[in-house]
Amino acid sequence: MAVNFDELQIGDAIPAYTAAPITRTHLVRYAGASGDFNPLHHDETFAKAIGMDQVIAHGMFIMGIAGEAITSWIDYKYLRRFSVHFLSMTHPVDLDDFENTKGRATITVSGKVVEKYEENGEKRIRCEIIALDAKGSKKLTGFFVVAIP
Amino acid sequence: MADKSKLGMEFPLYSIKVEKNKIAEFAAAVAQKEDTDHIKEIYRDVDVARNAGYEDIPIPPTFPTSFAFWTGGGLLGTVNAVGADVSKLLHSEEDYEYFAPICAGDVITRKMKVVDMYERGKKERKGWYVQVTTLETELINQRGELVLKARTTFMEKG
Repeated sequence: MAVNFDELQIGDAIPAYTAAPITRTHLVRYAGASGDFNPLHHDETFAKAIGMDQVIAHGMFIMGIAGEAITSWIDYKYLRRFSVHFLSMTHPVDLDDFENTKGRATITVSGKVVEKYEENGEKRIRCEIIALDAKGSKKLTGFFVVAIP
Repeated sequence: MADKSKLGMEFPLYSIKVEKNKIAEFAAAVAQKEDTDHIKEIYRDVDVARNAGYEDIPIPPTFPTSFAFWTGGGLLGTVNAVGADVSKLLHSEEDYEYFAPICAGDVITRKMKVVDMYERGKKERKGWYVQVTTLETELINQRGELVLKARTTFMEKG
């Protein structure tokens, strides 16, 4: 990885990562991969039975996208902490109304360096991270810590 | 409603082998790829993984969530054990501490317990009352090393 501890400054942005508009198929794929078969994420009849209009994405799918943003920047082996709060639900895009619904389903992850320090004999940085949809709704916020080689 | 007498409860231990195909499938899911030929090389080519300093193909950082779903009766096994109602649950926080990489071929033992349970809001105010439950999971590899600690917090609407 080309990340250099000494060159990183507080406030530096990590590369932003924009995911594809989330479809119901993405949710099914994530369900099968993770084993989270809560029907709220794939079965519209269940969602309606509990008073919701439609299925929602797994929070952990959004965190997984944030993880993809992090590991696109720095290797997993340097990751020491990754912590998030889930703030709002994400509805997938409706394929019969793509243009009007893609914004709510398109997640962009961004973040910045907020602290540089040494711990356990390692040079570490702490970054804030946030995931927003294209309409500006916050999906999750949190932080991660990486050890910089 | 989650049963507060379950605070402090330790779940039975479960062990699971980390399969490289499952890693590839997870990597495809979070990167929104249609198949595992298009995921990052590190998740499908053991030589690339070894050159990057791993013993074998590494997991994506949120893959540990799957250890809870593929063992112990999955989502419902966990939810029922704490007496919660799955139709009222929302996942509110997830926190991972990474101590060493987890790679394909590792055998991971999951050690999970209920570390917090409390109510927030007032019962009279509909929509504002939730019960919060936090599970802490230690993942230990085949060498007895603690490789990851996870804290999962969910809210159950009243």
